[in-house]
Amino acid sequence: MTQALGGSDVVLRVEDLRVEFPSEDGVVHAVDGITYEVHSGRTLGIVGESGSGKTVSSLTTLGLTRRQGARVSGRILFEGQDLLTLPEERLRAIRGNEIAMIFQDPLSSLHPLYRVGAQLVEAVCAHRDVSRAKAREHAIELLDLVGIPDPARRVDAYPHEFSGGMRQRAMIAMALANEPKLLIADEPTTALDVTVQAQILALMERLQRELGMAIVFITHDLGVVAEMADEIAVMYAGRIVETASAARVFAAPEHPYTWGLLKSIPRLDAPREQELVPIPGAPPSLIRPPSGCHFHPRCPYAQPDHARVDPALASSLEGEPAADEPGHLVACLLHADVRRRLWRQLAAGDTPEQALVAVGPFQESA
Amino acid sequence: MSPEEPLVRVRNLTKHFPITRGTIFQRKVGAVRAVDGVSFEIGRGETLGIVGETGCGKSTTAKLIMRLLDASAGEIEFDGREITRLQGPALKAVRREMQMIFQDPYSSLNPRKTIGSIIGEPFAIHGLLADRGERKREVQRLMETVGLNPEHYNRYPHEFSGGQRQRIGVARALALGPKLLIADEPVSALDVSIQAQVLNLLRDLQRRLGLTLLFISHDLSVVRYMCDRIAVMRAGKIVELASNEELYGSPRDPYTRELLASVPGVRRDRRTIHG
Repeated sequence: MTQALGGSDVVLRVEDLRVEFPSEDGVVHAVDGITYEVHSGRTLGIVGESGSGKTVSSLTTLGLTRRQGARVSGRILFEGQDLLTLPEERLRAIRGNEIAMIFQDPLSSLHPLYRVGAQLVEAVCAHRDVSRAKAREHAIELLDLVGIPDPARRVDAYPHEFSGGMRQRAMIAMALANEPKLLIADEPTTALDVTVQAQILALMERLQRELGMAIVFITHDLGVVAEMADEIAVMYAGRIVETASAARVFAAPEHPYTWGLLKSIPRLDAPREQELVPIPGAPPSLIRPPSGCHFHPRCPYAQPDHARVDPALASSLEGEPAADEPGHLVACLLHADVRRRLWRQLAAGDTPEQALVAVGPFQESA
Repeated sequence: MSPEEPLVRVRNLTKHFPITRGTIFQRKVGAVRAVDGVSFEIGRGETLGIVGETGCGKSTTAKLIMRLLDASAGEIEFDGREITRLQGPALKAVRREMQMIFQDPYSSLNPRKTIGSIIGEPFAIHGLLADRGERKREVQRLMETVGLNPEHYNRYPHEFSGGQRQRIGVARALALGPKLLIADEPVSALDVSIQAQVLNLLRDLQRRLGLTLLFISHDLSVVRYMCDRIAVMRAGKIVELASNEELYGSPRDPYTRELLASVPGVRRDRRTIHG
């Protein structure tokens, strides 16, 4: 999959990334061997619940877990150079410049005692040799770009004078200050109202079109990824359990956890009578993750040997994917054919129990 | 009191918070109209939803009905009684019949109390079930009702996951057999895979126990799943109040339409340019 996708370049390639934190209770396996890539002008949606490792993996990309005593292995290739082996000052030159990040909570990401404009100027001056007056002009342009009304006046406002949506716009402006090649957005709209969220998402899409950035969009919200992502990686307990084009993940998902997520959220486009099917249990401990397939204790389709065998992320397509297709990888011990039959039943409105009966006894895969 | 009478009737309910200037000689310079003349009814056994964005007044409305805040104007009638200005023992008696489930299952449970004493606290407050054995049996019955293992009676909140904590909150709210349950954003702090557990629990309990539910949320999809009728609030006012089918099938108010159009995954104006 190193081949360019639809003619675009690989901006970021993460290979077998592992991040562990030693703790009083044992080693926390926050990220447990993930591989993905992001292409210029495209958006990878990373979906997962709290504790799935989605945030830690991107903080590590920016070197932000170094000080927390994280043990990191694998490779993070940004335009060919491995960010994990880069010395701190080289990384600092890339961070905020070529790679930018937007965090969930815009209030705690802005310094309350500095004017918004001053913080933008700082972001610009940190990476460019420009006068402060020029940087201030640029800051006003940026605020205008992200749709803040009356930017020439607002540039001198303090963060508390901004509404939640405006703060997040200011954060986006700061992230875009140096026209990054890669934008990592971690739940950027979770704290916002729906109407504001819709504006921010539209803004991100527009800016991506104009600047051609690659975006990693981290979220727990399937509706948001449906709208934003070209490719999706579903994470569970520190691993990617399924990855494919967004269209495929929604139309033909193959991992029981992905099914669980899709069936457990109320959707405006589903019949109202359709009962939600919760995923039983709770997300697992990352200190002592379940044996075998990490999802097996919550999986309605788990077979006895799934508690022993650890599934690898493998292609579920027959043959090679088309050149402009990202492929479809699934880490599941069920046979691909069984998975497809189960999803057909689930998509038709069956509960997991009904789907199991309909599909009938199935052979465990090798 | 006929069973057709609505359980809750709210007329022209208003809450203004004063804006003051000065530290010593405070003077009122204006007012935030948090709730600005709302009227609605909640039928017995019905689930009424209030949906709206931050600051629209939906939580303030709930607090006014619970009498956690005093209304600036308007009337609240509960179970045929005017309760807007009740005080003291009369208010306490009414509070037994309405209970609230809060948004954050982490901060709404005292970390130093066992689950048993948290769920049993309403009995202590109202001087009911003084016999320890009897109280424990009742608490364990409640735990079973909400799908908790009764053996976990002596555990502490930190030993439970977010979804289980929300069940504890539901069990506590059900303890006194309330007629009205107010749920303010009950799932928005929970993980996606857990939300459905709590939503289905509330739906199931409502059907089984014939509860009346006031369900407050910012999430239009969740409200559609849960509620029979829905009030859309904006800036302290109800802009539209309609049945589930009407509101989602043919929304009338422009603001309702804007809200619905903003739900991600529904807007389908995705870009088609790749690379």
